[in-house]
Amino acid sequence: MLRYIIRRIITIPFLLLSVASVAFLLSQMTKGDPLAALVPERMMSNPEVVAAVKAEWGLDKPMPVRYVIYIRNLMHGDMGTSFTTRRPVARDIAERLPATLELVIVAMFIGTSVGMTIGLLSARFRNTVFDNVARGFALLGSSLPIFWSGLILLYIFSVRLKWTPGTGRLDARTQPPPDVTGMYTIDSLLAGDFALFTQSLSHLILPALVLGWSVTGIISRLVRSSLLEALTQDYVRTARAKGAPEHVVLLNHALRNALIPVLTVLGFTFAYLITGAVLTETIFSWPGIGSYAVSAARSLDYPAIGGVTIVGATAFLLANLLTDVAYVWANPRIKVQ
Amino acid sequence: MLNYPSIVFKGAARFAVLGAVAFAPFAGALPAHAQQSDTLVIGRAMDVNSLDPARAFCDTCQIYLSAVYEPLVTLGKDNKTLVAGLADAWDANDNFTDFTFTIRDNAVFADGSPVEASDVVWTFNRMKNLKGSPSFLMDGVASVTAVDSKTVNVTLDAPNAEFLNKLSAPYSGIINAEVAAAAGAIADESASSSDKAENWFLENSAGSGPFTLSNYSPDNELRFARNDNYWGDAPHFSEVVITQIQDAVSQSQALESGAVDIAMQVDADTAVSITAEDVVIKIVPSFNFLYIAFMPGAEDMADVLTPEVREALSLAINYDEMIEFTVGGNGNPQAAPIPNGFPGTANLPLRHQDLDKSRAMLASAGFPDGFEITAGYPNDNVYGVDINVMMQKAQQDLAKVGVKMKLRPLTYAVWREDLNNGALPITGLYYAPDYYGSGQYPSYFAMMPGTTWLGRAGQETPEVVVNPAEAGLYSTALAKTGAEADAAYEALALEMINDNIIVPLVSPNLVLAYRNDIEGVRYSACCNLPLAELSRK
Repeated sequence: MLRYIIRRIITIPFLLLSVASVAFLLSQMTKGDPLAALVPERMMSNPEVVAAVKAEWGLDKPMPVRYVIYIRNLMHGDMGTSFTTRRPVARDIAERLPATLELVIVAMFIGTSVGMTIGLLSARFRNTVFDNVARGFALLGSSLPIFWSGLILLYIFSVRLKWTPGTGRLDARTQPPPDVTGMYTIDSLLAGDFALFTQSLSHLILPALVLGWSVTGIISRLVRSSLLEALTQDYVRTARAKGAPEHVVLLNHALRNALIPVLTVLGFTFAYLITGAVLTETIFSWPGIGSYAVSAARSLDYPAIGGVTIVGATAFLLANLLTDVAYVWANPRIKVQ
Repeated sequence: MLNYPSIVFKGAARFAVLGAVAFAPFAGALPAHAQQSDTLVIGRAMDVNSLDPARAFCDTCQIYLSAVYEPLVTLGKDNKTLVAGLADAWDANDNFTDFTFTIRDNAVFADGSPVEASDVVWTFNRMKNLKGSPSFLMDGVASVTAVDSKTVNVTLDAPNAEFLNKLSAPYSGIINAEVAAAAGAIADESASSSDKAENWFLENSAGSGPFTLSNYSPDNELRFARNDNYWGDAPHFSEVVITQIQDAVSQSQALESGAVDIAMQVDADTAVSITAEDVVIKIVPSFNFLYIAFMPGAEDMADVLTPEVREALSLAINYDEMIEFTVGGNGNPQAAPIPNGFPGTANLPLRHQDLDKSRAMLASAGFPDGFEITAGYPNDNVYGVDINVMMQKAQQDLAKVGVKMKLRPLTYAVWREDLNNGALPITGLYYAPDYYGSGQYPSYFAMMPGTTWLGRAGQETPEVVVNPAEAGLYSTALAKTGAEADAAYEALALEMINDNIIVPLVSPNLVLAYRNDIEGVRYSACCNLPLAELSRK
């Protein structure tokens, strides 16, 4: 198992290099003016300004030369400088990734725990009022557009009830905790500042709920259908025949076997949300990777597009690896090769 | 016996109790202390592209630079008069080619060192030689010299009575040369290739304004700290934070909840939904405008977008309905591509719809049944106007005279490429002033050599659209002041109206939305929102 994991990890840099190459070539071939983020409207008619900017950002060089420079720099850990933020892409990502991770981890925790609970109970009490209500709740979360549910929940809980604060990771009047992990909840605890921890958690809870609710539907439906299928299997019948209590049958026998498809979806949903939580990040002014990705794509910010692609690819590769490992945990009969 | 309403009520009550319990730990985290805070919080969708005065060019940059880097002269509260900045006296020769500034004795940078003439020379030379976005402000500058430690002389290639106005732009703020040079900033002629200070400016400031840069985190926050060495009246707030809030609805919610003190981009439609009594909403005219542009130089358009056809198209548009359609009536018509209230605009004739005349002109031009044409434009919402909606209204109006306009909303980068390649016969766009002065408009919009829009409208055949009268009128306007300048700009504006290349559609009003304990909120033509004037009651 360990050898399998090490082998998979070793292949990751090569896969990332391939992904980065494809991303570079695709973004270069994409229609659009890369100077849009670098030269304002008014200055486009000034050839001196245009030439100076092209030279400064290396856009005056042929594409193959730019590709070689990009890959060479990438191999030294340099993702280039963003056209829009004018800062090293690696630094932008290092600042934003913890914010996204913090949001996505909590959202996945909420989405998974609620989704699995609903799925489990829906399977146990299938075709009852609970099943129908739970299905409605879960599907509502999946089908409501986040920009709508986010704004509505913000209005209810922040503006009207004043139970939660507004947008952002902290109240703008507060200084963030000393940077250790970049996740404010953890860093504030490490700094021993419980008031700041409470504040950062209060800012986190609503966007995490909105994002978590959006994944609840698929998880609960998957758990329900997998469980229903598992409950028809011979081993479940055997367990029941041996007199095992229903909760033991459900949790120990059926659920574990029903987890395989759920683990697959969980892994890929987590990876997807790393770069795909853009609506939540936008509505809640959460400075994460998703909004950075959209901004990069809109302004044809080649270096930032490359950086975000690498982050997204890394997330998917790691999620894939962890899912494979989890398969073995869920079903020891599965052997990795 | 329970009936349904009571079940619903009890359920709701339980939900409320559960919710209250769940959220109770966060009650202390709410921004209830905002009213007493010495920190001012502004909600805004930031568009920062740099914090280096010689490179930056954006609306948020104007707020930042005017708070941190003080120019020699600045714009007064009437949005017209120039008042003293770092220079407490200035003089110009009769033909506006030679300007002398005296720097006030007590002016110091944030590090306590005095502002000297050498700093001004260095700043202006760097802006010119770096060839960054605001370098057009130094166009025509022949030399900048330090007469003595407190006196600066600037000479121009040609008369320009608006040069002082250009210096009031936030980008002209004076930089502490010694500090910036130590960080790698270069001012000499090699600056465009050798200056490596942009990153330093993202984390540090070197100005003499009322605030200094405390922290900048892209798409997150821009934090200012009070400059304790400021030579003038100390700002009321020790700290100002511009916090990123992307959309108008979220901004209005943050304002109502007290999370922010000022929301900068609440549009008129959203403002109507704000019901909190402790929020003030003021709607004021702005100097921003949106326009439709016709480009005869676009591919195969020279025989279609003739002067007669362009006039017919401009006559087909219902300008009053356009304002209703785009901003719910919260805007103003604008005659020429020079904003209302700027020199030379007082007596300009407004455009009006005349469908009969439009149809007759199209028939006379050989298009009795109209024609098909494409409009490509940035798919953005700017200054509260959705450009898509604006172009849809234009599409409806043009259809009334038989012109079928196909709409192509594009991302900004794609739009720029198509526009520069002559692939767009019609577009829609926006403009906001960089300083108070009409000269910036002809130098961008007029059909005279060297302007951005001559290049776009004419592409490879500028002779199709060039207006020989405009260059002369522009030179005349720049050499005059007062009523003479007004007359010259008016004549120039009339020529630009008759060009029918740039047709303004709406000048949207600006919504000032802020908590009722904040004072000093106003719209500035140069600086958007002057931070040092703000205070809490």
